[in-house]
Amino acid sequence: MIEIRVDVPLAGTELRVEARLPAAVTAVMGPSGAGKTSLLEAIAGLRRRARGRIACGDAVFLDTERGVAVAPERRRVGYVPQDAGLFPHLTAHGNVRFGAREDEGRVETAIDTLDLRPLLPRHPASLSGGEKQRVALARALATAPRILLLDEPLAALDVELKERVLPYLVRIRDEWKVPMLYVTHNVGEALALAGDVLLLRDRRVESQGRPLDLLSSPGLSVEAEAGIENLLPGRVVGHDAMGGVSRVELAGGIPLSVPLAATRPVGARVMAAIRAEDVLVSSAPVKGLSARNVYEARLEALERTGVDVTLRCALPSAPSPWLARVTPAAVEALGLKAGQPVWLAVKSHSVRLI
Amino acid sequence: MLTRDEVEVVLFTLEVAALATLLIFPLALGAALALARYRGPGKGALETILSLPLILPPTAVGLVLLEALSRRSALGGWLAARGIEIVFTWKAVVLAMAVMSFPLLVRSARTAFEEVDPRLVGLARTLGCGPAAAFFRVTLPLAWRGVLAGTVLAFARALGEFGATVMVAGNIPGRTRTLALAIFHDNQVGRDDRAAVLAGVTAALAFAALWTTELLARRLGRRREE
Repeated sequence: MIEIRVDVPLAGTELRVEARLPAAVTAVMGPSGAGKTSLLEAIAGLRRRARGRIACGDAVFLDTERGVAVAPERRRVGYVPQDAGLFPHLTAHGNVRFGAREDEGRVETAIDTLDLRPLLPRHPASLSGGEKQRVALARALATAPRILLLDEPLAALDVELKERVLPYLVRIRDEWKVPMLYVTHNVGEALALAGDVLLLRDRRVESQGRPLDLLSSPGLSVEAEAGIENLLPGRVVGHDAMGGVSRVELAGGIPLSVPLAATRPVGARVMAAIRAEDVLVSSAPVKGLSARNVYEARLEALERTGVDVTLRCALPSAPSPWLARVTPAAVEALGLKAGQPVWLAVKSHSVRLI
Repeated sequence: MLTRDEVEVVLFTLEVAALATLLIFPLALGAALALARYRGPGKGALETILSLPLILPPTAVGLVLLEALSRRSALGGWLAARGIEIVFTWKAVVLAMAVMSFPLLVRSARTAFEEVDPRLVGLARTLGCGPAAAFFRVTLPLAWRGVLAGTVLAFARALGEFGATVMVAGNIPGRTRTLALAIFHDNQVGRDDRAAVLAGVTAALAFAALWTTELLARRLGRRREE
């Protein structure tokens, strides 16, 4: 259990966070400037003016009332900043060993966990973004941290690199069992890694809870930045290699055809992510369309979002509504009104499995 | 060729200049670090005071030192009571060189420290380093280029120090006469040829110091890019 009740003075304002986090992975989310990095720095002990109480399990890091403010070097936190923060004058090996003076065994395990052997003699200047992040993770792990503080470890990476580093994070979570605070803007990462989400906004806690409850409730600040409005839990029911598709059954028994994902075994639990603008809307039954997924739904509400209109559509058996985004022109052309039946179509290739 | 006396002057100058550099090294680094990290009132005034020897005529600095160390002053009296003599000894040469070189090392080192990302120092702390360990394992290795350059600059400045030295240490052959003083003396007594030789030696020494540093910096710098 991580207990945080802290005030951190920032330029002209103040970050105030009160939260109790279970000893597992918590995603810290929220718009830029919400105070996510400052929170991590306060936990790491790098914000000397922080006041309040921070405790990680039995270890009390900060308790201003009792005059306790443990120096950063005695907190044993593994802090990985957004840009990895490697020491440029040391090799990758020197970086990994930096904090773990005598514990060579731990260093070796960290190196193996993150597949760093071939990178060890190189200096940070010659490492790619993903490689830097892995070295920084290993460096943090090698110190046997009580808690890992990861500040958008994947943000600087392109999609391909992200998908290569993410499994390492899952591995750290499952094999090392170190509690993590994981700052991210990405809903997919939060769902893949975190058991809890702490949502900050304007330097205050906006809400805290299970990722799905929090992220699928509309109107939340993370939605817009994540760019994925429909997050649908389900499980893989079959693969059709010839047809190039996999079949997923969503909650409520809704079938969904997705691009072939042979690496996900039948029965695996997955999250289907569909962007609202990728959902096609028709006011009449659709026939002869190439889209593999067509559903009848009822248009519950139309909401103006910026220049576009977001349609909230209820599928008969789905637990939560689907969101579709269309232009005002389309609303007018189709004569869309709340309460009418609509048909939703989604191409297989518009679905991403998380 | 150099005469025996001249060789002694060269060796003496190298010794006192090295000693002066060694003496100011920890102090100047401390001052540089404080100036690089400190953000508060009085910073500007402190900077100006530390830079004074750069702007004042060296003879003026020498005069201040002389007054401070004379038996009439509190410090000079205190030292004399303990049998410590500084004025007109080799110690005065070291002191004059140290005071004149100090701001050069502070300036270089301070710029170098300011360029070290303070977040890296913070990270070193989270990785188990106390403040001192973080300085020696992160700040100094990252700033070494500027620190080295400042040290060599300070050493070269000490080699050529004249005005403050002559005020506080005099120009006593075999006791306080450095290269710069010997050049002046040779010229005064009409031995311009010897003055020229010594000037050449001084130039060669300063050149050698700067050149080896440059080479060293380049070689070590290249290794880091790999």
